[in-house]
Amino acid sequence: MASALSESRISTEHIPVKLVIAGPFGVGKTTLVDALSEIKPLNTEEVLTQAGTLVDDLTGVNEKTTTTTAIDFGRLTMPGVVLYLFGAPGQTRFQVLWNELVRGALGVLVLADTRRIDDSFAVLDLVESAGLRYAVAVNHFPDSPDYPPDALRQALDLHASTPLVVCDARDPVSARASLIALVEHIKELVLS
Amino acid sequence: MTSGRQRRRVVPDYMAAARLTVPENVHVERTTLVYIAPDAATNGLDPPGSHLLTLLRDGPLSVYECAAHLGLPYCVVRLLVAGLVGSGTLLTRDPPATDLPDIEILELVLSGLRAL
Ligand SMILES: Nc1nc2c(ncn2[C@@H]2O[C@H](COP(=O)(O)OP(=O)(O)OP(=O)(O)O)[C@@H](O)[C@H]2O)c(=O)[nH]1
Ligand SMILES: [Mg+2]
Repeated sequence: MASALSESRISTEHIPVKLVIAGPFGVGKTTLVDALSEIKPLNTEEVLTQAGTLVDDLTGVNEKTTTTTAIDFGRLTMPGVVLYLFGAPGQTRFQVLWNELVRGALGVLVLADTRRIDDSFAVLDLVESAGLRYAVAVNHFPDSPDYPPDALRQALDLHASTPLVVCDARDPVSARASLIALVEHIKELVLS
Repeated sequence: MTSGRQRRRVVPDYMAAARLTVPENVHVERTTLVYIAPDAATNGLDPPGSHLLTLLRDGPLSVYECAAHLGLPYCVVRLLVAGLVGSGTLLTRDPPATDLPDIEILELVLSGLRAL
């Protein structure tokens, strides 16, 4: 069993809050969570039935009809708050799990890859239809084409006020800037 | 006989058989912080319960972290935590409602991120 000893301590005064990192397969969700998290990557499992619903009592949990999926999970302990980051699986067959992960989240950072921008549409639709606050971070890969921001906005059909940032999910400074853009945006929405 | 198709067990059989349920009025979710009640009686727990208490000796953790450290799925640890909250062994701190997030909390997150 891993020890939680070496990490920043959470106190009973800390308020837990959460942000969700979403995006299609291979876009960099795990990389971004790991770049920012103060704790070693922890693997937590969710148990789903074949039908894609969450198992929430233990009857039948060991049966062949269940399947597990690992969730990226990170933590940042700050004065007064402990921020949890959840990487949400992109597959739409995990919709029920998705709904659970975003419930209670301050907002969602949607990752996109300009080499296959269409892959982010399904996630954007989910986020928008759930009325979630979100920002888009384009994760830049070496062979990613460089589109002007306006063209990207148009391709993603983003509202003028939705933040669009370019990031390198491997770089903590860049990953952090994406989260700051998201939280600034959430603040503006709450104040408006 | 073992084959590639054989599934590993998600939880120990005795836990699966225990039919744990969440007591009414106990609210537990992934980011709920849990900690040991100051006056808790901590002996006589079953192995997952006593592992959980060992884990929490150094301070609060979210239910999700507890699950990861215990190597058990969230759905199991949620029930374990809820039972121990119901019996008064653990206390919880829930995440605040987010329909309209508190500006002060957002400011704390922003200054925390900027200070990283
Ligand atoms: N060059 C570059 N490579 C990246 C970046 N972000 C992620 N990668 C690489 O892209 C691959 C996929 O990244 P992951 O973080 O595993 O993506 P994911 O979204 O978690 O993928 P799934 O969990 O499979 O959906 C990994 O090999 C990363 O090292 C980036 O910003 N730049
Ligand atoms: Mg991943």
